[in-house]
Amino acid sequence: MRALFLCYRGNPFCGGQGIYLYNLTKELAKLGVVIDVIVGPPYPDPLDEWATVYKLENLNMWAIKTKHFPYEKLIKLYKPWHFVDYCLTRFHIFPEMETFSMKAFFLLRKLLKTNHYDIIHDVQCLGWGLLPMKGYGIPIVSTVHHPLTKDREADFPVDNTVWEMACTILFYPLTMQRIVINRLDRVITSSKEGINALNEAFHLSPEKVSVVYNGMDVEFFRNNGSPRQENTLLFVGNTEDHKKGLRYLFDAMTMLPEHVTLTIVDDGPPKRLTAWGWITERGLEKRVTFTGKVDLSTLLHLYSTSTILVMASLYEGFGLPAAEAMACNTPVVVTNAGALPEVVGDCGVIVPPRDAVALKEGILKLINNKALREELGKKGRKRVEDNFAWPVAAKNTLAVYHDVIQSYRSRI
Amino acid sequence: MPRAKIYGYIAVIVATLMGLVFVYYAFIHYDMYSSVHFSSIDTGAYWAVVLPIALVTLFVLATCFWVGYTILTIKVAPPMPEIVEKKDNSKFKAFLLCLVTIALAVWFVYGLYHHSYLAIAIPAACITLVILGMIFWVGIAIITTRSTLKKDK
Repeated sequence: MRALFLCYRGNPFCGGQGIYLYNLTKELAKLGVVIDVIVGPPYPDPLDEWATVYKLENLNMWAIKTKHFPYEKLIKLYKPWHFVDYCLTRFHIFPEMETFSMKAFFLLRKLLKTNHYDIIHDVQCLGWGLLPMKGYGIPIVSTVHHPLTKDREADFPVDNTVWEMACTILFYPLTMQRIVINRLDRVITSSKEGINALNEAFHLSPEKVSVVYNGMDVEFFRNNGSPRQENTLLFVGNTEDHKKGLRYLFDAMTMLPEHVTLTIVDDGPPKRLTAWGWITERGLEKRVTFTGKVDLSTLLHLYSTSTILVMASLYEGFGLPAAEAMACNTPVVVTNAGALPEVVGDCGVIVPPRDAVALKEGILKLINNKALREELGKKGRKRVEDNFAWPVAAKNTLAVYHDVIQSYRSRI
Repeated sequence: MPRAKIYGYIAVIVATLMGLVFVYYAFIHYDMYSSVHFSSIDTGAYWAVVLPIALVTLFVLATCFWVGYTILTIKVAPPMPEIVEKKDNSKFKAFLLCLVTIALAVWFVYGLYHHSYLAIAIPAACITLVILGMIFWVGIAIITTRSTLKKDK
């Protein structure tokens, strides 16, 4: 079997898509699938050992004023698709998915002269370009961890003016995604909750959705034996993502004892200021630290030595940090938003979202009970090993491919 | 001079000239209030020219309406109290946006129906000048930005 992956952003450190692409293609290749990848920047870690990679350029112009463009980007603006990108971004539209999918469509036309693909696997793009690709007679599946409506709902309450709201609405290409997703052969999502979310957002029939749990590197994410530090909370994620519910976590911090500290694995000031603004408003400057982007071994160390991992999310399509922390025997306090309860099960403390008091109580429950922390840590490790390993995810994805191809062939 | 800078100058000059020529012939040279109107043009030819402009205009107006409508109707979980205080009149502004876009759309369609010159000229000017403005702005940015590339690149 030969599969073509499309991924408009292959960032290996955040966003999830690059990590998903890297690990899934690696495991699928081990199962005998020949992998080709069309990917946009930031590009993933090298996949060349098991895949043929075709890189598509994107200038990532959104939210950058023309006068602040570096010269190297400016001189590329005369290429047609870059100019389209440029024009649309000036109106606060985020066109990366549209233009990536169209560029991929034209590249695919060239590739098909020499290659034959059994299936096309889109990773969360759902761009217009997928529709003409259907004309090539290849079944198309797409992985959608969560619909972008969830991001928009999280952004809306923090927009202060009509202009900001209008920009939020223009940013998310929901109309395109609603039209495209209903015309694909199958959609893979990473939780049972995702089926409802996709139906609610795009009126996607549950029969068109398959659930394949995300994978993670359970061999790498294993407690490294470093001594655990008491009263240290850990948050891993994008601080600019309003779905993460960081405001509620900071509110909970104001109610927790002074010696409880929070480490955030993401950039802080001066690069990212949203979270820092909330921290200064609440006088938490001395209790919250930012690590910036960290390598995997540092992340593993942080998971292994922190007392608790906290996720105050308003929605999660999966919640990879929770699974990674559990793999390191670290207890978690999470909200029952999105797929988090499915991922954590009975191996952590689950509280309602948007409830700082409940979050504070959940954290205190674990901070004050070391035996409970150790028990949940052990249970968490076992749950991750049983459910969330990449080989399991790849095997289940391959089963979806076979099913899609079979039903596609029976239709034609 | 690097080739890109030459393209930058060409973009600025071409965009400026085209913009001036367009404005001159569309709004200054042409007597908009004279009795000569599109009504004298063959219907097929009229719609061949008008349809693309009409589609773009209606698409832009529909997008503006959709933005307003979404702000008016979107349901999100109750925000925190300090956020509620900031959002006193956003729904009212969204309502106004919907109203204005509907009015403009009706006015535009009415103008098309009566083969009005301005109904075509104004949207055509907006579309043309926005695109030319972008080309101009890119050109200016290329001319005024210092390269960080090494000289041998």
